[in-house]
Amino acid sequence: MVEVVASAKARVLIVDDSSLVRLYYRSALEKAGFEVEQAINGIEAMERTLSQPFDLVIVDVNMPRMDGFTFVRALRRIATDVASLPALMISTEAEVQDVAAARAAGANFYLVKPVSEAELVRHVCVLTGAAS
Amino acid sequence: MPITPDDVQRFCEFLYRRTGMSFTQSKRYFIDHRIEDRIAATGSSSFQAYFSLLRADADHEIEHLINSFTVNETYFYREDHQLRCMTSSMLGAIAALKPPGGTIRIWSIPCSTGEEPYSIALWLMENWPEVDNYNVEILGSDIDTRALQAAAEGIYGDRALMRLSRDIVTRYFKPVANGNHQIDEGLRGSIEFTRVNLIDAQDMARYRDFDLIFCRNVLIYFDDASRRQAAENLYDCLRPGGYICLGHSESMSRISPLFSVCRFPDAIVYQRPEADHG
Amino acid sequence: MPLVKGGARGSDTSGDLTPQRPALDSSDAESRWAAARALAGHAEAVPELAAALGRETVPRVREAIMTALMRIGDAASVEAMLPSLRSQDAGQRAAAIESLQALPEAIAPFMAPLFGDRDSDVRLLATELARNMKAPDATRLLCELIEREQHPNVCAAAIDVLTEVGTPEAIPVLEKCAVRFAETPFLPFAISVAIARISGAEG
Repeated sequence: MVEVVASAKARVLIVDDSSLVRLYYRSALEKAGFEVEQAINGIEAMERTLSQPFDLVIVDVNMPRMDGFTFVRALRRIATDVASLPALMISTEAEVQDVAAARAAGANFYLVKPVSEAELVRHVCVLTGAAS
Repeated sequence: MPITPDDVQRFCEFLYRRTGMSFTQSKRYFIDHRIEDRIAATGSSSFQAYFSLLRADADHEIEHLINSFTVNETYFYREDHQLRCMTSSMLGAIAALKPPGGTIRIWSIPCSTGEEPYSIALWLMENWPEVDNYNVEILGSDIDTRALQAAAEGIYGDRALMRLSRDIVTRYFKPVANGNHQIDEGLRGSIEFTRVNLIDAQDMARYRDFDLIFCRNVLIYFDDASRRQAAENLYDCLRPGGYICLGHSESMSRISPLFSVCRFPDAIVYQRPEADHG
Repeated sequence: MPLVKGGARGSDTSGDLTPQRPALDSSDAESRWAAARALAGHAEAVPELAAALGRETVPRVREAIMTALMRIGDAASVEAMLPSLRSQDAGQRAAAIESLQALPEAIAPFMAPLFGDRDSDVRLLATELARNMKAPDATRLLCELIEREQHPNVCAAAIDVLTEVGTPEAIPVLEKCAVRFAETPFLPFAISVAIARISGAEG
């Protein structure tokens, strides 16, 4: 397990409707020194990103009421700095067109599930600019 | 019988998914007791049996459970950050699109015994400088006709008035029997009270063109199907661009994607989109 | 006093109170929305709603059509919504799952075919449909799926639902699954949490 220290506790929002996935990501990221909040779908994610500052949002695709693509598109339309919040999309889909669709929606990076702790932490460090 | 930490986790994950309510570690002991109370109250033989009952929402257990967690008494100026949001943020946007002397329509549903619609009226008169420039229509609706009768009568005890300043009580209420106060006749006469079932599309179809709806602390108790139905009904009752406020423990994330999230300094509220984005 | 007693309807009445036959095939989204809403609970409208669902692109109209089908809630309504599980649109898939999830009895006969679908995405989505079923039924269905499932993400989805609804009968199946996917990220973690939650007071 790669030991990583984040500088000044970067804040990450995990958006996934699976409590197990959120627990898994949270435990990996907290161990690596990140501060973590959660949301269960795109609507809750919107509420959180509009209320508190984050350095990165991790977004699942298949979620009830507002899916990940719709959320990222809505995020990019916000009329403040929040619109440029880096978004890491993590999905079960692995096809080329899915990655392209994620980019088109405004995601900065795309990973395919299942993601290992090390892989997750590595990408989060890069996307938040944390030292590794 | 003891509840294990895993039972508590399972319970919390269910509650969070279903309602959006979450608890910090420091509140955990409180949750244990609440669960034990509910297990006893429902005559469940174990946590497993209770949890099955909860998942099925047998005998409105979700409602009993949530009520055991939250203070659900009604009083004047409850959740006043939303009233503040009304005058600081929402009304400005609403009024900007109205002609001088135009009509602003506000709905309190459910209104229960009237504290909420009267609070809206009082707050507007006390805190909105523009209030005299518009015709403000306030409606209060509920499914419970006895509550509506009480609302129309407008008689309240000290607990209901506890958040109001002495000055406001003196100016807008008069003392009546039993140490109670009755709200000003003019106010009573200016609020329309009606019986409505939120879930009934026919009922709700008679209500249109609202600028602002307060729908607090009721949707959280409905099952998924009823919540969707209510959300669709409320959408049609709002003008495009109109706002809807939910209770402090509630979120549209558990209800419906029909409304946009609006973050104002005093509150998160929701908005029917202005135009059809599709 | 600026407060004016108002009625149910505002003064600028838009829209008709007396319905003409609702137009699900109207070119106007607002009309289609109203039409879908008006057909909720009308079992004879399922074929019309199904056809409309197949061509609708506006998300809120699509959801209103699904709400209408959900309110009807019979086998025909379920069949009308199943094709949406294969949609390229994540929102459409999620909306169908939400509506179907609310019909645990109506969806029950369809679970085995869904769990046997060739498309792993369909199997994965279908696990959510067990969430509102009674614990023994959901456990049995999800365990049957897990026992023969090769795709780790489908297993992960099933395990997530079992974490909430599973009975102790699921534990041996979960333990075997952990062995099968020992080298796969996430699954061993997920299974250990699922087993801990399910064991609860028993463990």
